[in-house]
Amino acid sequence: MQSQYPLSLKSVTKMYEDGDKTAIILKDLSFNIKNGEMIAIIGPSGSGKSTFLSIAGALLTPDDGEVIVNGVTINNCNESDKANVRLNQIGYIFQTSNLVPYLNVEENLFFVLKMAKQWSVASKEFCHLLLEKVGLLNRAKHYPYQLSGGEKQRAAIARAFVNHPEIILADEPTASLDSSRSLAVMELISNMVKQYNKAAIIVTHDEQILPLCDRIFTMKDGNLVEKEREFI
Amino acid sequence: MLSHSIKEMIFYKVRYLLILFILFFIASLVFIINGLANGLSMDNASSIKKMNAESFFLDKDSENRIDRSKLTMGEISEDDFSANMQPLGISMTSMGIEKSDKDIEVTLMAINSASFLEPIAKEGKGLSNKKVNEVVLDDSLKQEGIKLGQKLRDEKSGVWLEVIGFTSNQTFSHTPVAFITFDTWKEINLEPFYSAIVVQNSSDSMEDISNKVNDGGWIEKEFVVKGIPGYEAEQNSLFMMLAFLIVIAVFVLGAFFYIMTIQKTNQFGILKAIGAKTAYLCKSTLLQVMILTMISLIAAVGFTWAIFLVLPEDIPFLFDPIQIAKFSGIIAIVSIFGSLLSTFNIIQADPIQAMGRVE
Ligand SMILES: Nc1ncnc2c1ncn2[C@@H]1O[C@H](COP(=O)(O)OP(=O)(O)O)[C@@H](O)[C@H]1O
Ligand SMILES: [Mg+2]
Repeated sequence: MQSQYPLSLKSVTKMYEDGDKTAIILKDLSFNIKNGEMIAIIGPSGSGKSTFLSIAGALLTPDDGEVIVNGVTINNCNESDKANVRLNQIGYIFQTSNLVPYLNVEENLFFVLKMAKQWSVASKEFCHLLLEKVGLLNRAKHYPYQLSGGEKQRAAIARAFVNHPEIILADEPTASLDSSRSLAVMELISNMVKQYNKAAIIVTHDEQILPLCDRIFTMKDGNLVEKEREFI
Repeated sequence: MLSHSIKEMIFYKVRYLLILFILFFIASLVFIINGLANGLSMDNASSIKKMNAESFFLDKDSENRIDRSKLTMGEISEDDFSANMQPLGISMTSMGIEKSDKDIEVTLMAINSASFLEPIAKEGKGLSNKKVNEVVLDDSLKQEGIKLGQKLRDEKSGVWLEVIGFTSNQTFSHTPVAFITFDTWKEINLEPFYSAIVVQNSSDSMEDISNKVNDGGWIEKEFVVKGIPGYEAEQNSLFMMLAFLIVIAVFVLGAFFYIMTIQKTNQFGILKAIGAKTAYLCKSTLLQVMILTMISLIAAVGFTWAIFLVLPEDIPFLFDPIQIAKFSGIIAIVSIFGSLLSTFNIIQADPIQAMGRVE
């Protein structure tokens, strides 16, 4: 059964027109992830990691192949259905926090709930629980411009979890942080993924976080190659 | 959605206040020019505009100008007139004031006393069919120092008229109206004539007049007003100003909303990336525009009202709620139309922008 995987990609291909050449970024790529699993993706810059994550996260449409989220193929969905997938099934953590600048920390979380029409007292309490977990409860009423880079990224992590998505995708979430902070942020993601039994894909450059992951893939020649544990 | 839209506006106060002010100033300008146009229109033509009449029978050669129309008295008999149909004489003249070397420009209006054409005398008494050489004046002439009982001399005929009463808001082509009876009219004019036959409500007897007088025709009050010397030129230039203001508003608001949403494209992309739909973003932008428009229109109406109260009496200004409501509607449509330009940007905003890739 495919639906045992919250996310699976089948023979996905993505190309970009580059002048008169076409650059093939992802080539016949297949990939599955299970619940409770945390996967790291590494690879040189420009190898297509972000492209892969965008396709997995319904931000980008592949040229060929299938993206299946919780048993539903989303390739041919319209924009509005894709927005719903992003809203309800995927929690995305971007390289920059991408918090809504005119909403304070808790409103950033509430906003996602309101768009999903899941606004209730219980869900509000869940927001505060998440903020407590990322250590931002005392910053709940602060606006993004009042927060440090690490705090913003922690707020973005809390936001990614707020709608109980099955899948967490993170694209170099610690790139803008120093190394001690980035380890703390990664540990936070890892703990939350384990606690809520999510499927998580983390794109990273940061070797120190690899021990926290269950499997590690390298993006190479448009495909994901799994690294054997013992060689790490 | 409402709270989200409002929070954004409060956060970016300066930006939204700027739009609010632009909208407010455009709306106020439109309302004020409209008020002046109405004021001038009343100041110009209140005697005809306020006349409780539907149609006027004018001489064909007059080209709808009541001040040029001349109907021979002999062609129409007194029996043709009724409570519903009355003759009117109009001539523009200047008058000398007793014991003063000042001259005043007035429009003489000859009417039958106690007919529907006779205005109410606010001061003194009304005209009487039994007496001649009496006049009821528009009270703006009191500013010239004219008092009850004073005598005025018609420059053309040399006939002296006694001021027996004052009425208000009776002007013709920006001159005050002096009401007299037809007996007085005959004293003043060697060859008396009717300028018009006025009917209060359309009736069959209108046709009798048309049959009797060959070179004449019925026209509606609206056209008589337009035919008053200077009236249409004045109103047209004010109307042109209004039209240009609205065209300018379309461009200014359109450009403003467009620039604002271009600046927001990235943010729209990010909101889409976390699951906002295009329809949601369009609705919330539209909601913002409607809130801004509402606030600025209400403020502009209030401001115009304040101007109306503050303006000195001699600046003609009329606050007409119905016309203000109409112009408010036009401005609201214009700003909503301008905001539709931003829909374009919203549709184009790509959620991939949230990945932070600079293209
Ligand atoms: N919109 C685009 N148009 C053309 N080329 C693109 C576009 N987006 C990405 N690319 C190219 O695709 C390749 C992979 O990019 P990306 O997925 O961002 O790599 P990574 O995240 O691994 O650094 C790069 O060579 C990049 O130049
Ligand atoms: Mg990348």
